[in-house]
Amino acid sequence: MIDFHTHPFMIKELTEMDNNLARNIKKVFGFYFPPQPLKVFLLELETSGIDRAVILPIDCTTSYGCTLVSNIQIAELTEKYQCFIGFASIDPKTKNAPQKLEKDIKELGLKGLKLDPSLQQFDINDKNLTFPVYQVCQELDIPVMIHCGLSWAPRGLEKYAFPLGIEEVAQAFPKLKIIIPHFGWPWYQESIMLAMKFKNIYLDTSIIFSGTPKEVLQHVLCDLIGMNVLERNLHFQILFGSNYPRADIRRSVRGINSLQMSTSLREHIFSLNAEKLLKLEK
Amino acid sequence: MKFNLKQITFVTTKETEFINITDNVKEFVKISGLENGFVLVMSKHTTTAIIVNEGLPDLESDIAKQLEHLAPNDMPYYRHSRFLHSDGQMAINSSSHIRGALLGFEVIFPINNGQMIVGNRQTIYFVELDGPQERTYVIQAMGE
Repeated sequence: MIDFHTHPFMIKELTEMDNNLARNIKKVFGFYFPPQPLKVFLLELETSGIDRAVILPIDCTTSYGCTLVSNIQIAELTEKYQCFIGFASIDPKTKNAPQKLEKDIKELGLKGLKLDPSLQQFDINDKNLTFPVYQVCQELDIPVMIHCGLSWAPRGLEKYAFPLGIEEVAQAFPKLKIIIPHFGWPWYQESIMLAMKFKNIYLDTSIIFSGTPKEVLQHVLCDLIGMNVLERNLHFQILFGSNYPRADIRRSVRGINSLQMSTSLREHIFSLNAEKLLKLEK
Repeated sequence: MKFNLKQITFVTTKETEFINITDNVKEFVKISGLENGFVLVMSKHTTTAIIVNEGLPDLESDIAKQLEHLAPNDMPYYRHSRFLHSDGQMAINSSSHIRGALLGFEVIFPINNGQMIVGNRQTIYFVELDGPQERTYVIQAMGE
Protein backbone atom coordinates (compact mmCIF):
# COMPACT_ATOMS: atom_id res chain seq x y z
CA MET A 1 0.00 0.00 0.00
CA ILE A 2 1.16 3.52 -0.79
CA ASP A 3 0.42 6.76 1.03
CA PHE A 4 0.64 9.42 -1.67
CA HIS A 5 0.53 12.42 0.66
CA THR A 6 2.93 12.85 3.57
CA HIS A 7 5.13 15.75 4.69
CA PRO A 8 8.47 14.99 6.40
CA PHE A 9 8.33 18.27 8.30
CA MET A 10 8.27 17.26 11.96
CA ILE A 11 11.28 14.97 11.95
CA LYS A 12 13.50 15.68 14.92
CA GLU A 13 16.70 14.73 13.09
CA LEU A 14 15.98 17.45 10.48
CA THR A 15 14.68 20.21 12.74
CA GLU A 16 17.47 19.79 15.31
CA MET A 17 20.05 20.37 12.58
CA ASP A 18 18.35 23.49 11.30
CA ASN A 19 16.69 26.01 13.61
CA ASN A 20 15.37 27.96 10.63
CA LEU A 21 13.53 24.89 9.35
CA ALA A 22 11.82 24.38 12.70
CA ARG A 23 10.87 28.06 12.87
CA ASN A 24 9.56 28.19 9.30
CA ILE A 25 7.53 25.00 9.62
CA LYS A 26 5.83 26.58 12.61
CA LYS A 27 5.39 30.05 11.09
CA VAL A 28 4.50 29.13 7.51
CA PHE A 29 3.01 25.63 7.67
CA GLY A 30 1.49 25.86 11.14
CA PHE A 31 2.77 22.75 12.91
CA TYR A 32 3.09 23.53 16.62
CA PHE A 33 3.46 20.08 18.19
CA PRO A 34 6.90 18.69 19.12
CA PRO A 35 8.94 17.08 16.30
CA GLN A 36 9.23 13.31 16.58
CA PRO A 37 12.19 11.02 15.79
CA LEU A 38 12.25 9.69 12.21
CA LYS A 39 11.70 6.24 13.71
CA VAL A 40 8.16 7.30 14.66
CA PHE A 41 7.33 8.10 11.00
CA LEU A 42 8.71 4.71 9.93
CA LEU A 43 6.74 2.90 12.65
CA GLU A 44 3.59 4.83 11.76
CA LEU A 45 3.89 3.49 8.22
CA GLU A 46 4.54 -0.03 9.47
CA THR A 47 1.66 -0.13 11.93
CA SER A 48 -0.66 1.26 9.25
CA GLY A 49 0.30 -1.43 6.73
CA ILE A 50 1.79 1.16 4.37
CA ASP A 51 4.78 -0.06 2.38
CA ARG A 52 5.79 3.21 0.77
CA ALA A 53 5.04 6.91 1.25
CA VAL A 54 5.44 9.87 -1.06
CA ILE A 55 7.23 12.61 0.88
CA LEU A 56 6.44 16.17 -0.18
CA PRO A 57 8.50 19.34 0.38
CA ILE A 58 7.32 22.90 -0.36
CA ASP A 59 9.64 25.57 -1.75
CA CYS A 60 8.39 28.96 -0.51
CA THR A 61 11.47 30.95 -1.52
CA THR A 62 9.80 34.06 -2.90
CA SER A 63 6.65 34.06 -0.76
CA TYR A 64 8.26 33.40 2.63
CA GLY A 65 12.01 33.14 2.05
CA CYS A 66 12.25 29.48 2.99
CA THR A 67 12.00 25.90 1.83
CA LEU A 68 9.99 23.52 3.97
CA VAL A 69 12.54 20.70 3.61
CA SER A 70 14.86 20.98 0.63
CA ASN A 71 14.98 18.68 -2.39
CA ILE A 72 18.40 17.51 -1.17
CA GLN A 73 16.97 16.57 2.23
CA ILE A 74 14.18 14.68 0.47
CA ALA A 75 16.76 12.86 -1.66
CA GLU A 76 18.81 11.95 1.43
CA LEU A 77 15.74 10.42 3.05
CA THR A 78 14.82 8.43 -0.07
CA GLU A 79 18.38 7.16 -0.48
CA LYS A 80 18.47 5.95 3.11
CA TYR A 81 14.95 4.57 3.38
CA GLN A 82 13.41 2.61 0.51
CA CYS A 83 9.93 3.18 1.89
CA PHE A 84 10.11 6.82 0.89
CA ILE A 85 9.34 8.12 -2.61
CA GLY A 86 10.63 11.66 -2.94
CA PHE A 87 8.93 14.49 -4.79
CA ALA A 88 10.72 17.74 -5.60
CA SER A 89 9.39 21.19 -5.02
CA ILE A 90 10.48 24.29 -6.89
CA ASP A 91 9.24 27.84 -6.67
CA PRO A 92 7.87 28.78 -10.11
CA LYS A 93 8.53 32.44 -9.34
CA THR A 94 12.30 31.95 -9.01
CA LYS A 95 14.64 32.45 -11.95
CA ASN A 96 15.41 29.27 -13.87
CA ALA A 97 12.79 27.25 -11.99
CA PRO A 98 12.22 24.84 -14.93
CA GLN A 99 15.95 24.20 -15.26
CA LYS A 100 16.30 23.64 -11.51
CA LEU A 101 13.42 21.19 -11.59
CA GLU A 102 14.95 19.23 -14.44
CA LYS A 103 18.31 19.14 -12.68
CA ASP A 104 16.86 18.01 -9.33
CA ILE A 105 14.70 15.34 -10.92
CA LYS A 106 17.59 13.92 -12.93
CA GLU A 107 20.36 14.26 -10.37
CA LEU A 108 18.46 13.54 -7.13
CA GLY A 109 16.25 10.76 -8.43
CA LEU A 110 13.02 12.44 -7.37
CA LYS A 111 9.82 11.05 -8.84
CA GLY A 112 7.43 13.99 -9.12
CA LEU A 113 6.78 17.64 -8.38
CA LYS A 114 4.82 19.16 -5.51
CA LEU A 115 3.38 22.65 -5.96
CA ASP A 116 1.35 24.53 -3.39
CA PRO A 117 -0.15 27.60 -5.09
CA SER A 118 -1.72 28.76 -1.81
CA LEU A 119 1.63 28.93 0.01
CA GLN A 120 3.81 29.69 -3.01
CA GLN A 121 1.24 32.24 -4.16
CA PHE A 122 0.89 31.92 -7.89
CA ASP A 123 -1.96 31.30 -10.28
CA ILE A 124 -2.13 27.67 -11.37
CA ASN A 125 -2.78 28.65 -15.00
CA ASP A 126 -0.29 31.55 -15.24
CA LYS A 127 1.13 30.77 -18.67
CA ASN A 128 4.38 32.71 -18.22
CA LEU A 129 5.13 31.43 -14.76
CA THR A 130 3.88 27.89 -14.52
CA PHE A 131 3.60 26.53 -18.04
CA PRO A 132 7.40 26.17 -18.50
CA VAL A 133 7.40 24.12 -15.28
CA TYR A 134 4.54 21.91 -16.47
CA GLN A 135 6.38 21.51 -19.79
CA VAL A 136 9.37 20.01 -17.94
CA CYS A 137 7.09 17.65 -16.00
CA GLN A 138 5.46 16.47 -19.22
CA GLU A 139 8.80 15.98 -20.97
CA LEU A 140 10.25 14.06 -18.03
CA ASP A 141 6.96 12.18 -17.63
CA ILE A 142 6.69 12.93 -13.91
CA PRO A 143 3.42 13.67 -12.10
CA VAL A 144 2.75 17.04 -10.52
CA MET A 145 0.69 17.41 -7.36
CA ILE A 146 -0.96 20.82 -7.23
CA HIS A 147 -2.50 21.68 -3.88
CA CYS A 148 -6.16 22.62 -4.21
CA GLY A 149 -8.79 23.29 -1.59
CA LEU A 150 -8.49 24.12 2.08
CA SER A 151 -4.95 24.90 3.20
CA TRP A 152 -4.55 24.56 6.95
CA ALA A 153 -1.24 26.41 6.67
CA PRO A 154 -1.80 29.78 8.35
CA ARG A 155 0.06 31.60 5.56
CA GLY A 156 -1.78 29.80 2.75
CA LEU A 157 -4.08 31.88 0.56
CA GLU A 158 -7.17 30.02 -0.61
CA LYS A 159 -7.69 32.30 -3.60
CA TYR A 160 -4.81 30.47 -5.30
CA ALA A 161 -6.15 27.01 -4.41
CA PHE A 162 -9.29 26.89 -6.54
CA PRO A 163 -8.99 23.87 -8.85
CA LEU A 164 -10.62 25.14 -12.04
CA GLY A 165 -7.37 26.67 -13.29
CA ILE A 166 -6.15 23.12 -13.78
CA GLU A 167 -8.47 22.73 -16.77
CA GLU A 168 -6.31 25.00 -18.96
CA VAL A 169 -3.21 23.14 -17.78
CA ALA A 170 -4.71 19.78 -18.68
CA GLN A 171 -5.72 21.11 -22.12
CA ALA A 172 -2.29 22.59 -22.79
CA PHE A 173 -0.40 19.52 -21.55
CA PRO A 174 -2.49 16.50 -22.48
CA LYS A 175 0.13 13.99 -21.34
CA LEU A 176 0.84 15.68 -18.01
CA LYS A 177 -0.30 13.68 -14.98
CA ILE A 178 -1.82 15.97 -12.36
CA ILE A 179 -2.83 15.11 -8.81
CA ILE A 180 -5.43 17.21 -7.00
CA PRO A 181 -4.97 16.38 -3.32
CA HIS A 182 -7.72 16.44 -0.70
CA PHE A 183 -10.33 15.91 -3.46
CA GLY A 184 -9.98 19.70 -3.62
CA TRP A 185 -12.33 20.04 -0.66
CA PRO A 186 -14.43 22.19 -0.34
CA TRP A 187 -14.32 22.34 -4.16
CA TYR A 188 -14.77 18.59 -4.51
CA GLN A 189 -17.40 19.03 -7.25
CA GLU A 190 -15.01 21.02 -9.46
CA SER A 191 -12.25 18.51 -8.68
CA ILE A 192 -14.23 15.40 -9.59
CA MET A 193 -15.55 17.17 -12.66
CA LEU A 194 -11.98 17.75 -13.84
CA ALA A 195 -10.95 14.18 -13.03
CA MET A 196 -13.97 12.80 -14.88
CA LYS A 197 -13.19 14.97 -17.90
CA PHE A 198 -9.42 14.33 -17.99
CA LYS A 199 -8.16 10.79 -17.44
CA ASN A 200 -4.72 12.08 -16.45
CA ILE A 201 -6.07 13.98 -13.44
CA TYR A 202 -5.91 12.09 -10.15
CA LEU A 203 -7.47 12.79 -6.75
CA ASP A 204 -6.01 11.90 -3.37
CA THR A 205 -8.13 11.00 -0.35
CA SER A 206 -6.47 13.24 2.24
CA ILE A 207 -9.66 15.14 2.96
CA ILE A 208 -9.44 16.70 6.39
CA PHE A 209 -11.71 19.34 7.78
CA SER A 210 -13.88 17.84 10.53
CA GLY A 211 -14.25 14.46 12.14
CA THR A 212 -12.18 11.32 11.94
CA PRO A 213 -11.07 10.04 8.50
CA LYS A 214 -13.81 7.41 8.71
CA GLU A 215 -16.44 10.09 9.22
CA VAL A 216 -15.17 12.60 6.71
CA LEU A 217 -14.52 10.05 3.96
CA GLN A 218 -17.99 8.59 4.44
CA HIS A 219 -19.48 12.08 4.27
CA VAL A 220 -17.63 13.34 1.17
CA LEU A 221 -17.03 10.20 -0.88
CA CYS A 222 -20.25 8.33 -0.11
CA ASP A 223 -22.89 10.83 0.98
CA LEU A 224 -21.96 13.84 -1.17
CA ILE A 225 -20.32 12.30 -4.25
CA GLY A 226 -21.63 8.74 -4.18
CA MET A 227 -19.52 5.60 -4.29
CA ASN A 228 -21.09 4.61 -7.63
CA VAL A 229 -19.56 7.72 -9.20
CA LEU A 230 -16.13 6.67 -7.98
CA GLU A 231 -16.60 3.02 -8.92
CA ARG A 232 -17.78 3.84 -12.45
CA ASN A 233 -15.85 6.94 -13.39
CA LEU A 234 -12.77 7.35 -11.21
CA HIS A 235 -11.72 3.77 -10.50
CA PHE A 236 -8.23 4.35 -11.89
CA GLN A 237 -7.70 7.93 -10.69
CA ILE A 238 -8.02 7.86 -6.91
CA LEU A 239 -4.96 7.64 -4.68
CA PHE A 240 -4.78 6.98 -0.96
CA GLY A 241 -3.32 9.93 0.95
CA SER A 242 -3.25 10.77 4.65
CA ASN A 243 -1.64 14.24 4.75
CA TYR A 244 0.49 12.95 7.65
CA PRO A 245 1.21 14.45 10.10
CA ARG A 246 -1.86 16.68 9.82
CA ALA A 247 -3.77 13.40 10.26
CA ASP A 248 -2.32 10.09 11.33
CA ILE A 249 -1.89 7.36 8.76
CA ARG A 250 -3.43 4.58 10.88
CA ARG A 251 -6.79 6.26 11.15
CA SER A 252 -6.70 7.32 7.50
CA VAL A 253 -6.21 3.70 6.39
CA ARG A 254 -9.05 2.62 8.66
CA GLY A 255 -11.19 5.37 7.14
CA ILE A 256 -10.82 3.95 3.62
CA ASN A 257 -11.27 0.41 4.90
CA SER A 258 -14.54 1.38 6.59
CA LEU A 259 -16.15 2.43 3.29
CA GLN A 260 -18.38 0.09 1.31
CA MET A 261 -16.64 -0.35 -2.05
CA SER A 262 -15.53 -3.11 -4.38
CA THR A 263 -12.34 -5.00 -3.63
CA SER A 264 -11.01 -3.80 -6.96
CA LEU A 265 -11.54 -0.11 -6.16
CA ARG A 266 -9.96 -0.52 -2.74
CA GLU A 267 -6.89 -2.16 -4.29
CA HIS A 268 -6.65 0.59 -6.89
CA ILE A 269 -6.93 3.32 -4.25
CA PHE A 270 -4.38 1.78 -1.89
CA SER A 271 -1.85 0.47 -4.41
CA LEU A 272 -2.50 -0.06 -8.08
CA ASN A 273 -3.18 3.52 -9.19
CA ALA A 274 -0.11 4.85 -7.39
CA GLU A 275 2.11 2.05 -8.66
CA LYS A 276 1.10 2.80 -12.23
CA LEU A 277 1.41 6.55 -11.83
CA LEU A 278 4.87 6.26 -10.30
CA LYS A 279 5.91 3.42 -12.63
CA LEU A 280 6.88 1.26 -9.68
CA GLU A 281 7.95 -2.31 -10.09
CA LYS A 282 5.70 -4.74 -8.27
CA MET B 1 13.51 14.62 52.99
CA LYS B 2 15.26 13.79 49.73
CA PHE B 3 13.84 13.90 46.23
CA ASN B 4 15.36 12.02 43.31
CA LEU B 5 13.86 12.29 39.86
CA LYS B 6 14.50 10.59 36.54
CA GLN B 7 12.80 11.05 33.18
CA ILE B 8 12.85 8.14 30.72
CA THR B 9 12.17 8.82 27.03
CA PHE B 10 11.62 6.12 24.44
CA VAL B 11 9.69 5.33 21.26
CA THR B 12 6.63 3.10 21.40
CA THR B 13 6.09 0.78 18.45
CA LYS B 14 2.37 0.02 18.31
CA GLU B 15 -0.94 1.84 18.52
CA THR B 16 -1.75 0.09 21.81
CA GLU B 17 1.14 -1.36 23.73
CA PHE B 18 1.84 -2.55 27.27
CA ILE B 19 5.43 -1.90 28.31
CA ASN B 20 6.65 -3.48 31.53
CA ILE B 21 8.65 -0.83 33.41
CA THR B 22 8.76 -2.58 36.81
CA ASP B 23 12.50 -3.25 36.75
CA ASN B 24 13.26 0.36 35.82
CA VAL B 25 11.31 1.60 38.83
CA LYS B 26 12.85 -0.94 41.22
CA GLU B 27 16.34 -0.12 39.98
CA PHE B 28 15.74 3.60 40.44
CA VAL B 29 14.57 3.06 44.02
CA LYS B 30 17.67 0.99 44.67
CA ILE B 31 20.13 3.57 43.37
CA SER B 32 18.28 6.44 45.06
CA GLY B 33 19.50 5.04 48.38
CA LEU B 34 16.33 5.95 50.26
CA GLU B 35 15.41 3.83 53.27
CA ASN B 36 11.81 4.99 53.71
CA GLY B 37 9.43 7.02 51.58
CA PHE B 38 7.50 6.74 48.33
CA VAL B 39 8.16 6.31 44.68
CA LEU B 40 5.89 7.95 42.13
CA VAL B 41 5.67 6.90 38.48
CA MET B 42 3.94 9.34 36.15
CA SER B 43 3.36 9.63 32.42
CA LYS B 44 3.84 13.04 30.84
CA HIS B 45 1.16 12.42 28.19
CA THR B 46 -2.62 12.41 27.92
CA THR B 47 -3.00 9.45 25.56
CA THR B 48 -0.96 6.99 27.63
CA ALA B 49 -1.41 5.47 31.05
CA ILE B 50 0.55 4.06 33.97
CA ILE B 51 -1.14 1.04 35.51
CA VAL B 52 -0.48 -1.92 37.75
CA ASN B 53 -1.67 -5.37 36.84
CA GLU B 54 -0.57 -8.96 36.66
CA GLY B 55 2.12 -9.25 34.02
CA LEU B 56 0.39 -11.63 31.65
CA PRO B 57 -0.04 -11.19 27.86
CA ASP B 58 -3.61 -12.50 27.96
CA LEU B 59 -4.58 -9.83 30.49
CA GLU B 60 -2.86 -7.17 28.39
CA SER B 61 -4.96 -8.31 25.43
CA ASP B 62 -8.17 -8.39 27.50
CA ILE B 63 -7.59 -4.91 28.92
CA ALA B 64 -6.88 -3.56 25.41
CA LYS B 65 -10.05 -5.14 24.02
CA GLN B 66 -12.17 -3.89 26.92
CA LEU B 67 -10.80 -0.38 26.41
CA GLU B 68 -11.84 -0.54 22.75
CA HIS B 69 -15.29 -1.59 23.91
CA LEU B 70 -15.55 1.20 26.49
CA ALA B 71 -14.11 3.92 24.25
CA PRO B 72 -14.63 2.96 20.58
CA ASN B 73 -12.57 4.63 17.86
CA ASP B 74 -15.27 6.60 16.09
CA MET B 75 -18.37 7.85 17.83
CA PRO B 76 -20.60 10.53 16.33
CA TYR B 77 -21.00 12.26 19.68
CA TYR B 78 -17.24 12.82 20.15
CA ARG B 79 -16.58 16.56 20.02
CA HIS B 80 -12.81 16.14 20.07
CA SER B 81 -12.88 15.29 16.37
CA ARG B 82 -11.80 18.45 14.60
CA PHE B 83 -8.83 20.52 13.56
CA LEU B 84 -6.80 21.60 16.59
CA HIS B 85 -5.31 24.99 15.79
CA SER B 86 -2.88 24.90 18.70
CA ASP B 87 -1.22 21.80 17.19
CA GLY B 88 -1.85 22.28 13.47
CA GLN B 89 -3.20 18.73 13.36
CA MET B 90 -6.51 16.97 13.25
CA ALA B 91 -7.56 16.05 16.78
CA ILE B 92 -9.11 12.71 16.00
CA ASN B 93 -7.93 10.67 18.97
CA SER B 94 -10.71 11.15 21.48
CA SER B 95 -10.85 7.41 22.10
CA SER B 96 -7.16 7.44 23.11
CA HIS B 97 -7.76 10.28 25.56
CA ILE B 98 -10.77 8.53 27.09
CA ARG B 99 -8.85 5.26 27.47
CA GLY B 100 -6.03 7.17 29.19
CA ALA B 101 -8.49 8.85 31.53
CA LEU B 102 -10.03 5.48 32.41
CA LEU B 103 -6.68 3.91 33.27
CA GLY B 104 -4.98 6.83 35.01
CA PHE B 105 -1.61 8.47 34.62
CA GLU B 106 0.36 7.64 37.74
CA VAL B 107 1.00 5.03 40.41
CA ILE B 108 2.73 5.27 43.78
CA PHE B 109 4.50 2.63 45.89
CA PRO B 110 5.90 2.76 49.42
CA ILE B 111 9.62 2.37 50.08
CA ASN B 112 10.45 0.52 53.28
CA ASN B 113 13.91 -0.48 54.52
CA GLY B 114 15.38 0.44 51.15
CA GLN B 115 12.96 -1.78 49.23
CA MET B 116 9.99 -0.88 47.08
CA ILE B 117 6.94 -2.64 48.49
CA VAL B 118 5.18 -4.33 45.60
CA GLY B 119 3.02 -7.44 45.39
CA ASN B 120 4.43 -10.58 43.81
CA ARG B 121 2.01 -10.37 40.90
CA GLN B 122 2.12 -6.63 40.48
CA THR B 123 3.66 -5.39 37.28
CA ILE B 124 3.98 -1.71 36.46
CA TYR B 125 3.05 -0.88 32.87
CA PHE B 126 3.52 2.15 30.72
CA VAL B 127 0.52 1.84 28.40
CA GLU B 128 0.64 3.40 24.93
CA LEU B 129 -2.83 4.29 23.67
CA ASP B 130 -2.05 6.33 20.55
CA GLY B 131 1.27 5.10 19.23
CA PRO B 132 3.76 4.90 17.77
CA GLN B 133 5.16 8.01 19.42
CA GLU B 134 8.08 9.27 21.43
CA ARG B 135 7.04 9.15 25.07
CA THR B 136 8.42 10.15 28.45
CA TYR B 137 7.61 8.97 31.94
CA VAL B 138 8.90 10.25 35.24
CA ILE B 139 10.05 8.31 38.30
CA GLN B 140 10.44 10.26 41.50
CA ALA B 141 11.60 8.76 44.79
CA MET B 142 10.87 10.80 47.91
CA GLY B 143 11.94 10.03 51.46
CA GLU B 144 14.88 9.69 53.81
